Amino acid sequence: MSIRAIILLILIGIGRLGFAQEISQDGQRITGLFPGISFERFASQIESKTEFRFYFDEKALSETQVNISAKENTLSQILTGIFEGSEFRFFIDERKRVFITQGAPLDNSLNPDFFKTLEDQQTLDSLQRQKDIDRVYSRNKLYILGETNPSKTGTATLRGNITSLENGTPVNGAIVFEKINYTRAISNDKGNYEIKLPTGRHVLFIQNLGGFVEQRQINLVGDGILDISIEENIISLSEVTISSEKMSNIGRPEMGVQKLNIASMKKIPAVLGEVDVIRSILTLPGVQTVGEASVGFNVRGGAADQNLILYNHSTIYNPSHLFGLFSAFNPDLVESVDLYKAGVPVKYGGRLSSVLNVNGKYGNPDKVTVRGGIGLLTGRLSVDGPLGPNTSFSLGARSTYSDWLLKILEENTDFQNGAANFYDFDLHFSQKIGQKNVLRFNGYGSRDRFRFDPDTTFQYQNQNFNLGWTHYFNEKLEMEVVLGRDSYEFGIEGRDNPSNAYNFGFEIKQNFAKANFRYELDERHTLQFGINALQYQLSPGSIAPEGPESIVVPKTVSQEQAFETSIFLGDDFEVNDKITVNYGARYVFYSFVGPNTVNIYQEGVPRTPASLIGERTYGSGETIQSYSGPEFRISGRYAINNISSVKLGYNTNRQFIHLLTNNAAIAPTDIWKLSDPHIKPQWGDQISLGYYRNFKVDKYEFSVEAYHRNMRNLIDFRSGAVLILNEALEQSVLNTDGRAYGAEFLLRKNQGKLSGWVSYTYSRSLLRTAAAETAEKINNGEWYPSNFDQPHNVVLVTNYAWSRRFSTSLLGNYSTGRPITLPVAKFNYGGSERVYFSERNAYRIPDYFRLDFSMNIEGNHKVRKLAHSSWSIGVYNLLGRRNPYSVYFTPVNGVLKGYQLSIFAEPIPFITYNFRF
Amino acid sequence: MKRIGKTYCLPITKLTVLCAAIGIVLLGACRDPFEPEVTETDLGILVVEGFIETNGEESKIILSRTAPVGQSSQFSKETRASVRLNSESGETWFFEEKNMGEYSLTATLDNNTRYRLEINSAGGRQYLSEWMQPVVSPEIGELGFIRDQNGVEIYVSTQGNEAAQYFLWTYEEHWIFRPAVRTVFKYNPETKDVEPRRDDERIDLCWNSNVFPKIILQNAARFENNTILQRELVRIRPNDERLMQRYSILVKQRAINQETYDFWEILRRNSDDIGGIFSPLPSLIRSNIEPISNPEETVIGFVSIGQSASKRIYIDNADVAPWPVTIEDYKFCRMETDTILVANYSSAFGSGQRLPAAPVMVETTTIGFYPVRRDCADCTLRGSNVKPEFWED
Repeated sequence: MSIRAIILLILIGIGRLGFAQEISQDGQRITGLFPGISFERFASQIESKTEFRFYFDEKALSETQVNISAKENTLSQILTGIFEGSEFRFFIDERKRVFITQGAPLDNSLNPDFFKTLEDQQTLDSLQRQKDIDRVYSRNKLYILGETNPSKTGTATLRGNITSLENGTPVNGAIVFEKINYTRAISNDKGNYEIKLPTGRHVLFIQNLGGFVEQRQINLVGDGILDISIEENIISLSEVTISSEKMSNIGRPEMGVQKLNIASMKKIPAVLGEVDVIRSILTLPGVQTVGEASVGFNVRGGAADQNLILYNHSTIYNPSHLFGLFSAFNPDLVESVDLYKAGVPVKYGGRLSSVLNVNGKYGNPDKVTVRGGIGLLTGRLSVDGPLGPNTSFSLGARSTYSDWLLKILEENTDFQNGAANFYDFDLHFSQKIGQKNVLRFNGYGSRDRFRFDPDTTFQYQNQNFNLGWTHYFNEKLEMEVVLGRDSYEFGIEGRDNPSNAYNFGFEIKQNFAKANFRYELDERHTLQFGINALQYQLSPGSIAPEGPESIVVPKTVSQEQAFETSIFLGDDFEVNDKITVNYGARYVFYSFVGPNTVNIYQEGVPRTPASLIGERTYGSGETIQSYSGPEFRISGRYAINNISSVKLGYNTNRQFIHLLTNNAAIAPTDIWKLSDPHIKPQWGDQISLGYYRNFKVDKYEFSVEAYHRNMRNLIDFRSGAVLILNEALEQSVLNTDGRAYGAEFLLRKNQGKLSGWVSYTYSRSLLRTAAAETAEKINNGEWYPSNFDQPHNVVLVTNYAWSRRFSTSLLGNYSTGRPITLPVAKFNYGGSERVYFSERNAYRIPDYFRLDFSMNIEGNHKVRKLAHSSWSIGVYNLLGRRNPYSVYFTPVNGVLKGYQLSIFAEPIPFITYNFRF
Repeated sequence: MKRIGKTYCLPITKLTVLCAAIGIVLLGACRDPFEPEVTETDLGILVVEGFIETNGEESKIILSRTAPVGQSSQFSKETRASVRLNSESGETWFFEEKNMGEYSLTATLDNNTRYRLEINSAGGRQYLSEWMQPVVSPEIGELGFIRDQNGVEIYVSTQGNEAAQYFLWTYEEHWIFRPAVRTVFKYNPETKDVEPRRDDERIDLCWNSNVFPKIILQNAARFENNTILQRELVRIRPNDERLMQRYSILVKQRAINQETYDFWEILRRNSDDIGGIFSPLPSLIRSNIEPISNPEETVIGFVSIGQSASKRIYIDNADVAPWPVTIEDYKFCRMETDTILVANYSSAFGSGQRLPAAPVMVETTTIGFYPVRRDCADCTLRGSNVKPEFWED
C-alpha cells in the first residue's frame, strides 16, 4: 500500500486529481511522514496540527494502516491515497469536518440529494453555502445500522423508540417513512416503531403530527435499532409553528395554503385577550379586512361572502360575535386552521375566494382535560378526553358573563337599556368501531343578541350538526361520509311604539351529504374522488306585527329552494422526485326549484317595474332554472432542491349563494340570496405562481406568491337599492365583473427565542359593471376599486420567549386606507346642505396602522401539577392611534361637516386568565 | 320602526357609544372632526328644487348651482332663467323670478292632467322635466304631541290611499323666547336720559324660527290600510327654549310618487346615514330633469307636483309644565349691581353695549339705573320682535 501511496502522491504532485469531495481545502497543506501508524493515530496527529476534525467508526477502521509521506499536500490528496482501493470513502465539509464512511461505491452510496444540493450551492455565495452545508450535515449524518449478515441480503427490520426532545417522553403517532418506496410506520403509544426496509442506503423522515420533520441518513446493513428524539410541539415557547409541516412549504404541490395551529395563534395579541381564529388569519399575507368592526375578511381581493368557512364539515354563515370583536370559534376546542387562498382542494367548492377549514378537537384519547378562561367580557369552559378505549369527546361553551361594560356606559351617556350578549357551544365526539370504522359527531351553536336602545333588538344564530363515518376498506382506500344540517338566521325586533311593533326574520338552512374517497392507487398516484350534495332552503325575509296594537302589514318574501350537487376527481401525482402535480376537476349541477313565482321581463332592457311583463308560478320541486359547469384545480411543484421550490397553479370556482350587502363591511343584518333565473352564479378563476425557499436549516422560510384572478357575475347594486323584503331583487342589482391581482411576500423565522414573521402584500381588487348590464353603469363602466382594495399591507408578528414561562408578542399591522366615495360637490336642498357623490371609491380613508402588545405568562410545566394556568395581558392598539373606519360628511344644523369615525380609538388593555387541568 | 325598510344604520350618537363600549377605558367619542382632501373643482351642477302646488297656493322653484365641498361660501343662484310649466293639454304658465334664483307661480291647476317643467337658462341651455302626474295628499289626520321623560315628541298621523302611499313632511317652527334680563327702558342719546320703550321698541319678547328643518319621509304601504300612526316629526329635548312660552309648528304634508320618494330617501341616506359601521354606501342621485341642450350634463333635483295638506298647532309652556329652560347664549347673564348715576348715563349707555335695566330709587327719586349687557337683555339680537302674521295668541 505504501508504495502505491507514494506513487500516487507523485502523481498528485504533477497534476491535481479532481475529486468530488474536494472542496477548496487548499488553504491548509500538510507536510509530514506517517509511517505505518493506525488511522486513529493519523487522525489525531492531523487534528493536533490542523483544524480538521475526523468522524469515523473506530472499529471499522482499526485494520487500516497509514503509511504515507506528504509534502505540501492537501488532506484530500492524502486521504485519497490512503483509501484508494478500500471500501472507505471520505467527505470533507467546509467546517473542516472529515467524515469517513464505509459502503457501496461512492456514486450511489449517499442519497442523490446529498451531492446535488452541494453542487447547486456552488453557484451561491459562500456564506449561503455554509448555511446549507450545516443543514445537509444535520440531515445527512450517516447512521450505519445492524450487524452485517451476508446470508440475509434482502430486507432488514429497523426498530426504535421515538422520544420527545424536550422531556424524553415517548411520542405517539409519529410517522417514520422513506420516500423511494413509500414505506412507512407509525410509532405506538410507547413511542416504538418498526419498519421493514431493503438493506442499503435510505433517507428516513420522521414526522410528528403538527410537529417538525426530522431526517436521518441510514445505511441499513441488517436488523438494527435507531432511537430518535424529535421535537414535539406542545408548549415549546421557543417555536412559532405556523406550518404543521415545515417541509411542506417546499414540498407540497398546493399553493396559497396557510396553516395555523392554536399554539401559534396564542402568540398573536388579540383584542380582549381571547385567542381568535379569524383575527389570527388576518395576520397572514393576502387576508384583509375593511375595518375593525367587520364580520368578514377578504382573501386576495375577494368579497367576504366568497369564503367558505367550515368547522368540522359545518358551514358557518356568520363566524363572528359582537360585531366581529370575537370570532365564533371557542379557541379551546380548535386544533388548527387551514386557509386555502388558492389551490383549493378538489373536495371543496361553492365559494370563489377561499376555504377556511377550522379543525375542532375530538378530544385527547388518554386523559380528561378541563380548560377554561376568564376575560373581561367572556368566560369559557371546555372538557375533553376519553369516554372509553375507543371513544373520545370534547365539549365546550363560551358566553359573555356580564353586561357590566354597557352598564358603566349607561351612567355616562344617554345610552340606556343597551345590551349585548352572546354564547356558543360545541360538541365533538369520536367513536372507533373496530379497526376500520370511526364515527364522528359535531354539533355547534351560537347566538348573539344586542341592542343600542330599547326600541330595536338584533339577534342572530348559527346551528350546525353533522354525523360522519370514516371507513378504511384497506390500506389503500378510505371513505368518509358526512350527513348534516347547517342553519343560520337573524331577526330584528322593533318595539319603537306599539302601533308599529314588528318582528323581522331571515333564515337559511342547508342539508348536506358528502362522500369523499381517498385511494392510493400506487406509490405515485393518490386519488381523491367523491360526491357532495347540498340542499338550500332560504327564507329571504318576513315581517310580522307584534302585539294587538300593531298595524304593521305582515309580509313574507317567498322561500327559495335549490340543490347543488357536485362530483369530483383529483389526483396527487408524484411525477418524480422533483415534480409533483395535483390536478382534478369538479362538476357542479345547480337547480333552483319551486315552489316559487318568478318575474318575467322584456328581453334586452333593464329589469325595472316598467319592463316587467308577467310572472310564472312553479310547483313544488319543479326546476325553475338550472346551471352546471366544471371547475378545474391544477397545481404543480418543481423542487429546485430540497430547500427551494417553485409552484404554479390554476383553479376555477363557482358560487351559487350570494350575500347582499350594501355596506362596506358585512352587517349582521345582511341577507343571502340564491342564484335564480335573473341572478347568475358567480364564476372565478385564479392563476398563481410561487417561489419557496428555506434558509439556515429551516430556521427561516421565505415565500413569494403572485396571483391574478378574474371574476364574473358579481353583484353590485343600483342607486337606492332596498335589499330587505324585496320581492324583485333583480330590479336592484347590477351584474359586475371583478379582477384582482397581487403578490405576497412572507419571511418567517421558526426557531429561536425570537420567532415570528413579516409579510408584505401588494394587492389590487377592482370591479366593473358588466358590459351587458344596461340599467346603470357605475363610473361609466370603467374599472373601479372594490371596497376592500388596500394595495399595501405589512404585517409583523414577533414573539420573544424570555424564558419557557414568559414570552412577549408584538403585532404590527399597516395597510393602505380602504377606498371610499366622497362627495365632489355640495348643494342646498330641502333646507339643508347636501352632498353630491361622483366616482365610486375615488378616494381613500387615511392609512391604517396599529401595534398590539401582549405578554403570556405560563404557570410551571411540572407534569404532576394539578392545574396549569396562564395569564395573557396586553394592550390592543398600543399607540392609541385613531385609525379611521370611515370618513364622511354630514350636515350639522344644515351645514356640512367632515368627520372620521374610529372604532378602537384608544389603547385597549386586556387581561385573560386561562387554566387547564 | 325607524330602521326597517330603510337601512340598518346606527345613528351617530349610538355609534359613539358603541365605540366607547369597545374602547372600554375611555368613554370618549371616536367621532372626530376631519376634513378629507376632496376636489376643489367647482362643478357648478344645476340644482332644481321645487314642489308645484295645484290648489292655488304659491309654488316655488329654486335654481342654484353646486359648490365645492370644502368651500364655505354661499351657493350661487341661477338667475334670469325662464321657467315655465307646460301641461299635456297645451297650456303654459310662466314663473316669475321673485328673489334671486327663486321662481314663483300662483295658479290653480287641474289635478287630472300631466305637466312638465321647462327651464331655459340665461346661458341658453334648455332643461325639461319628465311628465308629472299631480298627486293629491289626503288631509293630515292628526298633528299632536306627547310629553315624556325625554321631552316632547310632535307626531303626525295620516291615512294614505292607493294613489298616495309615499309621504313627505316639511315643517316650520316658530316660538316665543325671552331674554335673560327683561328691561322696558332705553337710553335716549338726544335727551341723554333714560325713558320707557314704546311697544314697537320692545326687546323682552321675541319670536325665533327654525329655518333648517329636516325632511321626514314615510312609506304608508307597509301598514294596514296605508295608515301612518304617530310618525315622529320633531323631538324637543327637555330645557329647550322652544317651549319657554308658546310654540307653533306648521306641518306641510305632501304625497309623492315612488321615484320622488326614492330620490329624497337617497338624499337623506347620503347625508344622514353615512359613515356608520353598518351604513350603506352612497348612492347616485337621480333627477327627473333632463338636460336637452347638452345630454352629457348632470342635473340634480326632483320636481314634483300635487296638492299638499297642512296643519298648524300651538303648544304652550303650560301644556308641558314644568319646563325649565336653559339658553346657552344667556348662561352668564345677570343684572349688574353697580349703579349708573344720572350723570354717567352718557358714558355708560351711550355706546349701546349696556342698557338700563332697573331704576335705583332713593325715596321717590330715580338716582340712576342698574345696567345690563345688551346681549343679555335685547332679544332682537337672536330673534325678531315682530309678531309673525299668522301668530295667534
